[in-house]
Amino acid sequence: MRRQSLALNLFLAGTAVLLTLGLLLGRSDSAAVESGRARSASPVFTPERPTLRDAVRDFFGIRPEPEQQPIAFTHKVHAENRIDCTSYCHTGAGVGPVAGIPGVKQCLICHRTIATDRPEIQKIAAYEERGEDIPWQRVYGFPAPAHVKFYHAPHIRAGVDCSTCHGDVEQMTVAVRAVDLTMGFCVDCHRQRGASVECVACHY
Amino acid sequence: MERRDFIKLSALTAGAAGLAGCGNPDHQLIRFLPEENLIPGVASWRPSLCPLCAAGCGVLARVMEGDAEVVRDGRTGLLKMGLVKKLEGNPAHPVSRGKLCARGQAAVQLAYHPDRIQQPLKRRGERGAGEFEPVDWDEALGTLAAWLKEVLAGDPSGLAWLSRPLRGGRRALVERFLAAAGASPPVYFELLDESVLRRANRLGFGREQLPTYVLGAANYLLSLNADFLGTWNSPVAQAIGFGEFRQGQPGRRGKFVQVETRVSQTGANADEWIPIRPGTEGALALALAHVLLNEKLRPAAAAGSAGAHIEGWSQGLPEWTPEKAETLTGIAADRIRRLARELVAHGPAVVIAGGAALAQTNGLATALAVNALNALLGSVGASGPVRFTPQWESTVPALPHRTLRALVQKILSQPDSPVKLLLLYEANPVFATPPAWQVAAALDRVPFLVSFGSFLDETNSRADLVLPDHTFLESWVDDVPESGTEQAVVSLAAPAMRPLHNTRALPDVLLELGRMLGGRVSEALPWGSYEEFLRVRFDALARQVGADPEEFWKRALEQGGWWSENGLVHTAAPQPARATSRLVRYQVAETDGAVEEFPFHFLPYASQAFYDGSTAHLPWLQELPDVLTTVMWGSWVELNPQTAERLGIRQGDMVEVASQHGTLQAPAVLSPGIAPDAVAMPIGQGHRTFTRYASGRGANPIAVLAPLEEPETGALAWAATRVRVRRVGAGRLVLFSGGLSRFPHAEER
Repeated sequence: MRRQSLALNLFLAGTAVLLTLGLLLGRSDSAAVESGRARSASPVFTPERPTLRDAVRDFFGIRPEPEQQPIAFTHKVHAENRIDCTSYCHTGAGVGPVAGIPGVKQCLICHRTIATDRPEIQKIAAYEERGEDIPWQRVYGFPAPAHVKFYHAPHIRAGVDCSTCHGDVEQMTVAVRAVDLTMGFCVDCHRQRGASVECVACHY
Repeated sequence: MERRDFIKLSALTAGAAGLAGCGNPDHQLIRFLPEENLIPGVASWRPSLCPLCAAGCGVLARVMEGDAEVVRDGRTGLLKMGLVKKLEGNPAHPVSRGKLCARGQAAVQLAYHPDRIQQPLKRRGERGAGEFEPVDWDEALGTLAAWLKEVLAGDPSGLAWLSRPLRGGRRALVERFLAAAGASPPVYFELLDESVLRRANRLGFGREQLPTYVLGAANYLLSLNADFLGTWNSPVAQAIGFGEFRQGQPGRRGKFVQVETRVSQTGANADEWIPIRPGTEGALALALAHVLLNEKLRPAAAAGSAGAHIEGWSQGLPEWTPEKAETLTGIAADRIRRLARELVAHGPAVVIAGGAALAQTNGLATALAVNALNALLGSVGASGPVRFTPQWESTVPALPHRTLRALVQKILSQPDSPVKLLLLYEANPVFATPPAWQVAAALDRVPFLVSFGSFLDETNSRADLVLPDHTFLESWVDDVPESGTEQAVVSLAAPAMRPLHNTRALPDVLLELGRMLGGRVSEALPWGSYEEFLRVRFDALARQVGADPEEFWKRALEQGGWWSENGLVHTAAPQPARATSRLVRYQVAETDGAVEEFPFHFLPYASQAFYDGSTAHLPWLQELPDVLTTVMWGSWVELNPQTAERLGIRQGDMVEVASQHGTLQAPAVLSPGIAPDAVAMPIGQGHRTFTRYASGRGANPIAVLAPLEEPETGALAWAATRVRVRRVGAGRLVLFSGGLSRFPHAEER
């Protein structure tokens, strides 16, 4: 029994070392994005992540750092210019389950003429030139094993402010996760507002 | 194991799972600019049409935003677009009425299949080696147009067309194209094509068409070998009707008797299951009619023109006593008498014959006898369960098996094939015909073969040029169902999603070719696109039913087609029942192979998952356990346990099935639901070339069939071959579970 435990401990230690190495040494996302290389034309489905680091981060649900975003977008400037969250950019929030992240097309509605001299805006124009969309890194979202579904539209209709769940994005530059969306967080708010706390309200 | 160890092991597994997900940076895909504006996460349901069998079920496709891995301008990347994620039956469509079979559910995999042909291909290696290189559309169309010009400048009959039987707009367009070019009429081929039943219906009822069975209007159902709940005729519509037959009438539950040689999925639902010798179903029908006539239960004249074709009908079929039928069919005379009385006592009754019953050399006589029996029972027409779907235009293919054989003979008749250019579309005769038909040899003699297929199979892997079609979800589709409903139906659907790959819809390619050829052909095909062509057709239909064309078109697109609501529209007049001077005489079915040398009757049957083999490339269907045997991912031979014991064969052993025309090997499945002197095998596996999922898997029963045919229609008698069986060694059988354990109605013979 004891020997077996020892063997297990060794395995565990080895795995831990590998995972740590993965976290520390892997190439960052942005590097891979910048390279923009096309995938080898294998039509076989693969669960592979671009790097070992990504795989490990994905597994633990760690979200991207601001510098990993392809564009240094500033929420603050847009909010100061009174651009409403859901009217132009996150249009899905008011009508569907997913808020959506704006692509090149939405950006260029305004930025075809506004602030075209800024390097970050020129990056967007360059994407359009190449016929590509912006490879934003997702900040919020539940991992699949959580088995939880979230539908934006009813929350917007009920007048829940975006900042309740997403923090003070109006003061942020690139969005970072400011609120930890645990089940306790959801249930607290649902209780306070008298919303359903049935299991199947979210887990279905 | 202790709890602590368990937790550690779990952690280890989790770590391993995380590591398994690593890879290389090349796998980071670029994102293309999306072309559509969709609300993420919100589904829309768009009508479409299932293309996988001739039933023509209307479906609804669930379209949601998703990331498709596509190639654009030579680059691979992700494109955010509306993608079809799920198919369901269209509740408004009169054939499917909101339901869909397993094959229909799997049809969505056609679009996302990893081995789909994604761009035009040109043959590189030897013909048949399956080596191709990509070409662009301009080059591909240019090559084909050059060939067309050359052939049409010489003898235009050197241009031939071979496809599955087409209907609706595609058929109209193809025939127009060929006629304008001066080519010979198209050759349509499908293995399980039912032209015997169509011909019998024309002789008996004046409708060369498959019948529609309104089972809800029946109270007694006698089926002779028809797998009407699984694969035969319009299975979804019939399954809905069967539900109404059993439970739709308060206080009544229809009785269902199945007569067949091997228990089918349909037979497993029967109240009474009766074994019969293969090819003798007609004798049973005649004996049943004999009892009805002689016991004065029904007058002979009630059968009308359907009875007039049967020798001795007006005299009450004196020759066809139940005793005589007993010697042929193996069903006791008293049982036949009881069945006949039940048919009248528990009416309205309907008798259905299909599948192996009609795939015999006496198939037409059997079908005519069953038609006469139905007519005698008063089951045909407006009040009875046997009806005919009103047709907007004739959809009858001209005896597919005979026309294919004529084409093959034409090619092989001269050392230099008179057919110079053959266009192939969605038919696989190399797989689905007996070797004696020599289809492969004929194809290899044709100087230039062009395929419009989406997948490389045994037939189109011989092509010199492949111009891949869109899948049904990406193209304009329309159809005129032949059976399955009492309403007149013309189905129509716009593309449910944008094309994933560099493919083009066949009708649009034909229109483009017409423009490139110029002259007569382009004059005959003046439409800019297939959408325009369909619009013209629907405008004509709208005028015919007296509707505003604009509204009519819009409504058809919304609901998935047009169907008559009140009052039926007969626009194609039924042909008068042909009064033949020649009476059809029932003859004992011929079989190929002497009984002594080949002791077993070989019964191939349409597989629930693969039908005639055309859907074997869809992995969901490979994964689908057969309903009775639970076998998946392979083929098998069904043997009676007594026979198996005598031959020393156990479940799963590899057996060799040999006919005079070939041999095959497959593992044995012991089933008490098959006669001791018969072996059965599902059609569909045994593909040599048909994507990664079907190639080299299982064995093809068609490859051992004898080229016997029904003489009147030339239809292949695919259930008329005799074989011998021996054990060759251990085999491998993938079973989901269990199997059929008990022989139904073993006590009554």
